[in-house]
Amino acid sequence: MKTFTNANPRDLPQALKLLEQARAAGKNAAVAGGGSDLLGMIKERIVSPDVVVHLRSIKGMDQVASEKGGARVGGLITLDALSSHPLIRRQYAVLAEAAESVATPQIRNAGTLAGNVCQRPWCWYYRNGFPCFKAGGNQCFSINGENQFHAIFGGGPSFIVHPSDTAPALVALGAQFRVTGPSGERTVPAADFFVLPKQNAARENALKDDEVLGMVRLPAPRPGTRSAYHKVMDREAWTHAVVSAAIVLEMDGEVCRSARIVLGGVAPTPWRVPDAERVLAGQRITPELAAKAGEVAVAGANPLRKNAYKVPLTKAVVQRTIVELARRA
Amino acid sequence: MSKKNRISRRRFLEGTGAALVAAEVSTIKAQNETAASRATVKLTVNGTAQRVEVQDNWTLAETLRDHLKLTGTKIGCDRGECGACTVLVDGKPMYSCSQLAVWMDGKSIQTVEGLGQGEKLDPLQKAFIEHDAPQCGFCTSGQLMAAKGLLAHNPHPTKEQVEAGLTGNICRCAAYNRYVEATLAATTPIATGGTATFAAKADAPVSKSLKTVGHATPRIDAMERVTGKAVYTRDVSLPGMLYGAVLRSPHPHARIKSIDTSKAAAMPGVKAIVTHENCQVVWGAGGIAGGVQYNDAVKKITKQRRYAFNNPVRFVGEPVAAVAAEDRHLAEEALSHIKVEYEELPFVLDAEEALKPDAVKLWPEGNLSLNNQNESKPLSQKRGNVDEGLRASEHVFENRFSTTLVHNAQMEPRSCVAAWEGDKLTVYTPTGGIANCRNDMARDLGIPMEKVRVVCQYMGGNFGNKNQNQDADLITAMLAKQAGAPVKLEMSRKEDYIGMHGRWPTIQYFKVGVDREGTLKAIQLRGYSGMGGYRKNSGSIGGVDAFQCPNIETTVYPVYTNRTVSGNFRGPEYPQGYFGFQSMMDDVAYKVKMDPVEFALKNMTRKANDQVEYTNYSLDECIRRGAEAFEWKKRWRPEPGSDRGPVKRGAGMAFMAFRSGVGPSNAVIHVDSKGQYYVHVGVTDVGAGAKTTMGLIAAEALDVPLSQVKVVWGDTDRCPYSVGESGSRTTIQTGYAVVEAAREIKKQIAEKGMPTGNAVLTAATGPNPRMDSGKQRAAFGAHFVEVEVDTELGYARVLKYLAVHDCGRIINPLTAEGQIKGGVLMGVSMALHEDFIYDARTGQPLTPGYYGARVITHRDAPNIEVLFIESDDGYGPYGAKSIGESGKVPAVGAVANAIYNALGHRIKDLPITRDKVLGVLV
Repeated sequence: MKTFTNANPRDLPQALKLLEQARAAGKNAAVAGGGSDLLGMIKERIVSPDVVVHLRSIKGMDQVASEKGGARVGGLITLDALSSHPLIRRQYAVLAEAAESVATPQIRNAGTLAGNVCQRPWCWYYRNGFPCFKAGGNQCFSINGENQFHAIFGGGPSFIVHPSDTAPALVALGAQFRVTGPSGERTVPAADFFVLPKQNAARENALKDDEVLGMVRLPAPRPGTRSAYHKVMDREAWTHAVVSAAIVLEMDGEVCRSARIVLGGVAPTPWRVPDAERVLAGQRITPELAAKAGEVAVAGANPLRKNAYKVPLTKAVVQRTIVELARRA
Repeated sequence: MSKKNRISRRRFLEGTGAALVAAEVSTIKAQNETAASRATVKLTVNGTAQRVEVQDNWTLAETLRDHLKLTGTKIGCDRGECGACTVLVDGKPMYSCSQLAVWMDGKSIQTVEGLGQGEKLDPLQKAFIEHDAPQCGFCTSGQLMAAKGLLAHNPHPTKEQVEAGLTGNICRCAAYNRYVEATLAATTPIATGGTATFAAKADAPVSKSLKTVGHATPRIDAMERVTGKAVYTRDVSLPGMLYGAVLRSPHPHARIKSIDTSKAAAMPGVKAIVTHENCQVVWGAGGIAGGVQYNDAVKKITKQRRYAFNNPVRFVGEPVAAVAAEDRHLAEEALSHIKVEYEELPFVLDAEEALKPDAVKLWPEGNLSLNNQNESKPLSQKRGNVDEGLRASEHVFENRFSTTLVHNAQMEPRSCVAAWEGDKLTVYTPTGGIANCRNDMARDLGIPMEKVRVVCQYMGGNFGNKNQNQDADLITAMLAKQAGAPVKLEMSRKEDYIGMHGRWPTIQYFKVGVDREGTLKAIQLRGYSGMGGYRKNSGSIGGVDAFQCPNIETTVYPVYTNRTVSGNFRGPEYPQGYFGFQSMMDDVAYKVKMDPVEFALKNMTRKANDQVEYTNYSLDECIRRGAEAFEWKKRWRPEPGSDRGPVKRGAGMAFMAFRSGVGPSNAVIHVDSKGQYYVHVGVTDVGAGAKTTMGLIAAEALDVPLSQVKVVWGDTDRCPYSVGESGSRTTIQTGYAVVEAAREIKKQIAEKGMPTGNAVLTAATGPNPRMDSGKQRAAFGAHFVEVEVDTELGYARVLKYLAVHDCGRIINPLTAEGQIKGGVLMGVSMALHEDFIYDARTGQPLTPGYYGARVITHRDAPNIEVLFIESDDGYGPYGAKSIGESGKVPAVGAVANAIYNALGHRIKDLPITRDKVLGVLV
């Protein structure tokens, strides 16, 4: 691995200061949460930081606190702690299930919520060192290449899919992200945090170079809310979603008052499908209605040469997750 | 292939410095930091608090292994993909390869060395031994620590919870069933001794009078494997040792115009650099003409020599230069200062494409690989007249199947430690053939055999092509020579994937004729095998010998392509060949409206090549008993795809007849005055349990308890030439030599009495038994699988799997069952997951590694039931036949056939992934 200097900051202001100092000295800096993915990328020379700022040495940014019926979740909470937290399990099953579906126990014991949300794409061109948009280049190799795992929605000019499991869950829950930078804090709705390649082909989110995702606020669930995350993988562990669905239903008996459906693995960002949500709103959930929602969800799909299978797959995932949720007490 | 859009790998690397992870600060220009930062951290390691000075870029795994000398923690991928490096950090399992030591300040670390208390083993370690969980043992420390972490917060987990808890730990031996069973047994006692059932062959049962052989016995080296004490190549550390690193070709095909090593050579701490310019060593075993064993005769005539460094380079990942330096990071850094100027050449990835007249030629003689006589001929096998047979057939069916490049992916990436003392070379390397490796090294380096010592005490899996030397061994030896110091070379997981070899991908065209009754009349196969830039092994496509048929003709073209080299991988030509043959015949059975079991019983081989009697024959019994035990009639659907769905069930089967000859090997036995027997055999135990098997055979033949037998292995200075561990023949050949040596020493004892004082008696034997004329040995088997296929989500999952095998007499039921289970699960992984995908436009590999190749995990591994039909044909030691490869041979075909039965569509291209399942349903 290349040489670099590690810094273990005490608190967030110090971390931001370290980043600023590194920049002032003309150095590349990287922040590490759990660090697993960052180290892999350094070893593969996909990134080459001179300074690594290790955020997990900051105490207290890994807590869940209840807040006006909702929750405040520190960005540095591990995925394991998040998925087993009683409040999260009780009120935000979709998030607990998404966190639990990530990689392996070892990675969940190290990996953080913020790191999972902000991780770089796992497109095999990017990860194998191709000079693509994501690596600062000016083309996407998947368009005419091996694109079986690439985007069917929102693609162009890059066709990566967003790799995070927790991101679709957070969008579905209407979470608010608190972003901290040198000039202070700002709050960004989860849905606005992620950016499509046509807005910025090199990045997946609105985080600036010197900003950190420090905290996530989850709104209080409305009565009758139930939620689930369904992830389809190419083996039963340690792959990213081929397709996933984060679904939050607000139920009144058998009738769905409102729905939020956000897809993973199909687009460069978590992909919300409002038309499919409208299919459910005010209706009694039946398998037929769920199937209809699935169909509407993929209406705008635009598959590449090798990923057309994702269209029926997405349809089925949406349908099944809705049916399964309707069954849950 | 088009020339446009080819991309320089170097440009990739140079161009990517600016792209950083989200929330990173990217700045004007990276400055080259030469001085490595260091820090002191407080760690509590296995209960002992200590201050450790670390370099900022050292991982925890590296710190534990290199600097705290806790080498029980293994590094299998260094990327958080395999779990071999799992340790507990404040009680929680983490990948120590993916954490920096500087991040661990104030933490408590527990490694495998801290699991037991003094001599007292942890209950998990005890259960791992009793249930024979470790095979090669390289993943074992990680499995133990993951299990420990799981039980700490869930002391009584269910089977599913254990699978989920261990699922971050890959086991390429695929001992998944046993790891789960052992973890459960650590909390609630479970009967030991394995779960296989045994049936005596109806007409030739084995005698049950043996005292040691045939009794389930934990491995004699199990303690070392569960305590982290087993020394693998990477654990060897010599005084003054340097670290090696290899620069590899970024291009699929290129001529090296120049190499400038001056800048790297000038770096302080860089001690040696080798390239094709200063190191023209032939790597004989790396490119064997015609796929035969490289020997002096072949060396003399072959036109297509492979060197340790070649120019031109013929695949991405081919070695271009290597460096030895004072530390591993420096060696890696030095590589980036070697400037190579390439002339990029057109490339070809596909075997059929490569034979077209306008394809770029990888070798002057063309892309059809020459055989060992330098003839440009395909491999062919003929019996009868296939054209006449097809003409005379009532029905003729045709099909095309394809299989992909899949990597051996043994847990321990290739490594070597080489040291010269004067003109004597010692090589520590993961090899299952210490003797062959020694011969190869001597031949390649042009030094006498006595001047080479090869040592391998433990190795992290074999699965093929580890019965020779590797280019890593030659490169390390050359670096050590030039540097005048020992050198350790540790390939990364990615290097192992792209730089070594995998199973050859094939394209198979079949034409099969049957008569009105469904009896085979003609089988024709035209096949293409992609060998990569060099032909490391045969490239054959096996499977025709499982059938009785008067007219056969197989023609297989081993073809050079610009992919990673193909070589032997567990049943070299069979799992892919059996996928084709057994899928083809399954298809024929349905088309002539026959139950595949009936079709098998009608058309299975009865004599080898329809001519030679088998020493004993049990294929019919394997199929019949298997069908009965599996409840075939209940699970198989005469109308494929008829299950209502959307999740459809179906069943399939495949059967096999696999080589199981006899042959030469050597063994030496000493006995001392205390009655202790020392059995010297040139095995290393690739994971199959050879040491224990040899011990059991010796104890039986000597008529002493196993405790009076010490096996000496893994060192050419201490062991005689033994046949290497490949081709499923160690038990048969070396085991037989042990029987002979035991007989000989008993004779001496009878004549001279037991030795007294410091005297020893010695018996050395090198038998070369032959078959009686007109007989052939074979191991037989039949696999039965039930799957469910989700027609909406596209997945296929194995629900029930029964593997029935006649492997002769079973020497150790515990390890034998593990071999079958592991082989089957590897087959399941090959059928449903693994693929080494290349980008067609650039010739770059896209899926090197466990993550990329989707190698199965604990949660993917179904339970495999094993039924042994034991027999004794009078050959081999106590009637033992081959076993190591058997489990994998029919597995891929059996799974594919079950999927057809469930789905009603036949997927003819491996692997059977979601895109293909959903694709056929559109």
